[in-house]
Amino acid sequence: MIRHLFKLIWNRKKSNFLLITEIFFSFMVLFAVLSFVVHNVRNYTKPLGFTHDNVWLLSMRPSSDSAALNRQNLEQVLQRLKSYPEVANISLTSNNAPFSFSITSNAMTYGQVKDVQADYYEVQDDFQELMQVPLKVGRWFGPQDDASNHEPIVINQQLQEKLFGNEPAIGKLIPITDSSSYQVIGITEYFRGAGEFASDAPAMLTRINFAKRQDKFWESLLIKVKPGIGVAFEERMVKDISGITGDWNLEVSMLEKMRKAKAKVTLVPMLGLGFVCAFLILNVALGLFGVLWYNISRRNSEIGLRRALGAAASQVYWQFIGEVLVLATFGLLLGVFFAAQFPLLEVFQVDTEVYLIALFSAVFLIYLLTAACAFYPSRQAAAVQPAVALHEE
Amino acid sequence: MLKNYIKIAWKVLLRRKFFTFISLFGISFTLMILMVVTSLFDHVFGPQTPERDTDRLLFVNSMKEQKEGGYTSSGPPSYYFLNKYVRTLKTPEQVSINSVFHQVNSYVNNRKLAIDIKFTDQAFWHVLDFKFIEGAPFGQQEVKSASRVAVINEHTRQQYFGDGPALGKEIVVDQVSYRVVGVVEDVPVLRLNSYADVWVPITLRSHEFNREGLRGGYFAILKAATPADVPKIKEEYAHMMKELERQKGEKDLQLYSFPATILENFARMVLGQGETSGLRILYAALTGITLLFILLPTINLVNINISRIMERSSEIGVRKAFGATSKTIIGQFIIENVFLTLLGGLLGFILAALVLWQINSSGLIVYADLSLNLRVFAIGLLLCLVFGFISGVYPAFKMSRLHAVEALKGGSK
Repeated sequence: MIRHLFKLIWNRKKSNFLLITEIFFSFMVLFAVLSFVVHNVRNYTKPLGFTHDNVWLLSMRPSSDSAALNRQNLEQVLQRLKSYPEVANISLTSNNAPFSFSITSNAMTYGQVKDVQADYYEVQDDFQELMQVPLKVGRWFGPQDDASNHEPIVINQQLQEKLFGNEPAIGKLIPITDSSSYQVIGITEYFRGAGEFASDAPAMLTRINFAKRQDKFWESLLIKVKPGIGVAFEERMVKDISGITGDWNLEVSMLEKMRKAKAKVTLVPMLGLGFVCAFLILNVALGLFGVLWYNISRRNSEIGLRRALGAAASQVYWQFIGEVLVLATFGLLLGVFFAAQFPLLEVFQVDTEVYLIALFSAVFLIYLLTAACAFYPSRQAAAVQPAVALHEE
Repeated sequence: MLKNYIKIAWKVLLRRKFFTFISLFGISFTLMILMVVTSLFDHVFGPQTPERDTDRLLFVNSMKEQKEGGYTSSGPPSYYFLNKYVRTLKTPEQVSINSVFHQVNSYVNNRKLAIDIKFTDQAFWHVLDFKFIEGAPFGQQEVKSASRVAVINEHTRQQYFGDGPALGKEIVVDQVSYRVVGVVEDVPVLRLNSYADVWVPITLRSHEFNREGLRGGYFAILKAATPADVPKIKEEYAHMMKELERQKGEKDLQLYSFPATILENFARMVLGQGETSGLRILYAALTGITLLFILLPTINLVNINISRIMERSSEIGVRKAFGATSKTIIGQFIIENVFLTLLGGLLGFILAALVLWQINSSGLIVYADLSLNLRVFAIGLLLCLVFGFISGVYPAFKMSRLHAVEALKGGSK
C-alpha cells in the first residue's frame, strides 16, 4: 500500500514538485523559528542564581580627572549609604551588574584545559546576602580572605564542569599570571547575570578588596533597600550623594526595570518572528488546502472507478490522506537533511538537544498540518458516488 | 483590451471566492509585513525630522585606535579631537559637536523621571531641522556664556508642566535648574545623533574640553553645502586622519574614524572592518533575506494560480484555436495576476497602517512615529508589481504551451 502511494507520487513528481518545495521551505522556516524559541524558553526556565527584589543600581560617572578625589568621594558615598536605616545592604560591582547590557569575560586556563571563556563579575563581600546567592558547596568570601595569598573566587557549576570535570573544585588554584592565582572557595549551581534569556554560561565572581585597591574606582553600586521604600527616599538619597560628589553624573535604576528592558530585547524579536512564521504557515496551509481540494476533485472519475470495482469509502479516504503524507515525507526528507547540518556542524552556540526538539516538533507539526489540510478534500473524495462520477465521464 | 482583461479577471475572482480569499490573504499579509519592515527601516535610516537633509548630512560617531600588538579600543571621539581636527575642516558648510546623550534622574512631585540629556553647541540647531512648538533654540550668546538654558521635548513638557506652556519656566534635571527656552517635537530614540529629552549648552561641560585623548563621549554632525560635496568631505577627513596618524608618530598606530551616513555607520558597526563600511554586504544580506521571505508566499501563489488557470484550459483552447499567440495569453494572465496583487497590495496597505498605528501606540519604541509616507508607498507598489509578476509568469507560461486540442479537451495530465 505505502509502496503504491510512493509510486503514485513519484509518477507525478513534476506536478507535485512545487508542493514538495513548499513543504520543504515551510519546514525550514518552522525549524529555524522553533530552534530560536526552544533555546530561549529553555534558558528562561533555568534559575537565575540570585534574587533582585528591592535592589537598586546606582551608576556614578565622575566628572573630575583626579583619581584621588574620586576615590575619596566614593568612600564618603559608601559611608553615607550605610548610615541610612532604609538601606539593608550595599555592594560595589563591576560594570556588568545583573541585567545590565555590558559583558565582561575572562579566559581561564587550568592544566590541560585552555582558554575557557567565563563571565567575570567583581563584587563585594555583602553581595551574597544582598542578592541571596545560594552556594552548593564551599563558602562565600569575607574579611578572612584579606590575608590570603590568592584571589578567592566563587564559580558556577558550568565553569566547574568545564575546568575540572568531575573532580572536586574547592581549593583548586587557577593561575592568573606567573605569580598570582585564583583560588576556588565556593560553587553555586547557577549564576546568569546577563538575564533570563541568557544561556547558562560559565561564570566567576571575584572579590573586590576595597581597602587594598586604593587606586581603583568602581562606577556601579548595588543597593538593597528595605521593603516598601520608594521614590521619596530615592530622591533624598540622590540629593545627599550629589551633595558629596558635586557634579558627578548619578543614575539610579531598579533591577526589576532593568530585567524587563533586558527581556524585551529577546521577547520582541521572538514575538515578531513568531508572528511572521505563523502567517507563513497559515498561508501555506490555506494554499495547500486549496490545491489539494482542486486536485482531488479533478480525480473524480478515478475515484468512481475504484469505488465501482469494490473499494470501500474508507479505503479511498485513507488513500488520499496517505498520498498527502507521502508528499510531505518527500519535502521533509530534504528538509531534515539540511536541518541536521546545524547540530552536526555546530553552526551556532546552541545545545544539540535544542535542535533535536525543534526538529522533531517541526516534523510533527508539518505532518499534522498537511493531514489537516487533506482531511476535508479526502472526505469529499470518499463521499463520491461511483454512478455519478462515472456518468460524468 | 486592458479593460477587457481586467473585466475577465474580476469575474474570475468572483467565481471562486475561496481561492480568491486564499490569494488575497497571502498577498496582503506578505506585503503588509514587507511594508512594516520598510517603514521601520525608513524610520531608523531614512530622512526623518530632525535629520531631514540626509543627503547632505554626515555623522562622526566613533574613533577606533589600533595600537602596537593589535590592541584596539573604540568608542565615541573626544571633544578635543572633534574641535581641533574636525571643526577646522574646510569642505563642510557647518560642523556641530554634541555629547552622547545619557540618562539622568529627576524627581517631580514624588515621581521619578528618567531623562536623557544631551549637550550641544549652537550649530546643532542649524544643521538639524527640529520642529519647534514653542520658543526657539539657544543661541551663540547662551552657548558662549554657558547659560543654564534648555530645549525640551514635548513629552518632557507634559511630564513637568502638564498641558500648559513651558516657555521661561525652570526645570530641574539631575539637581541642576535650567530655564526652558524652547519646546520641540519628540525625536525617536533610534536617532542616536539627535535624540534626547533635554538639550542644554555644551559649554556646561567645558571641564572636559581639554582632555587630550582621542576618545571621549562626543559626536559630530557635518553638513555639506550640496550633496555633491559629500565625497569631498570624506576625502578631506581621510586626509586629516592620515596626517593625525603621522603626527602622533607611534609605531603601528592606526586610527579609524569616518564621517558617514546613518546606514553606513550602522553597517560599519555590524560588518565593517577598517576602511570598508560593509554597506554592500548589508544590502546583499537584506536583499537575500527579503527574497527568502517572499519565496514561500510566491511558491504558494504559483501553486494556486496553476490550479486556477488549469480550470480555464478550455477558454485557452478556444482562444488558441482562434489564433491567439502564446505571447498574448501570457500577457493576459500576467495582467490578471498583477491586478490581483494590486488588489492585495491595497489591502496590505490598510493592514500595514493598522499595524504601524498599533506599534506607535504600544510604546514599544520610545517616541516612535512610524508612518506610511510616499517613499514607503512607492516601495510597496514596486514590491506588489514584482510579486505579481513573479507569481504570474510561471503558471501563464505553463498554460500557454498547451496545444489547442488538448486544452479544449480539458487540460493536460
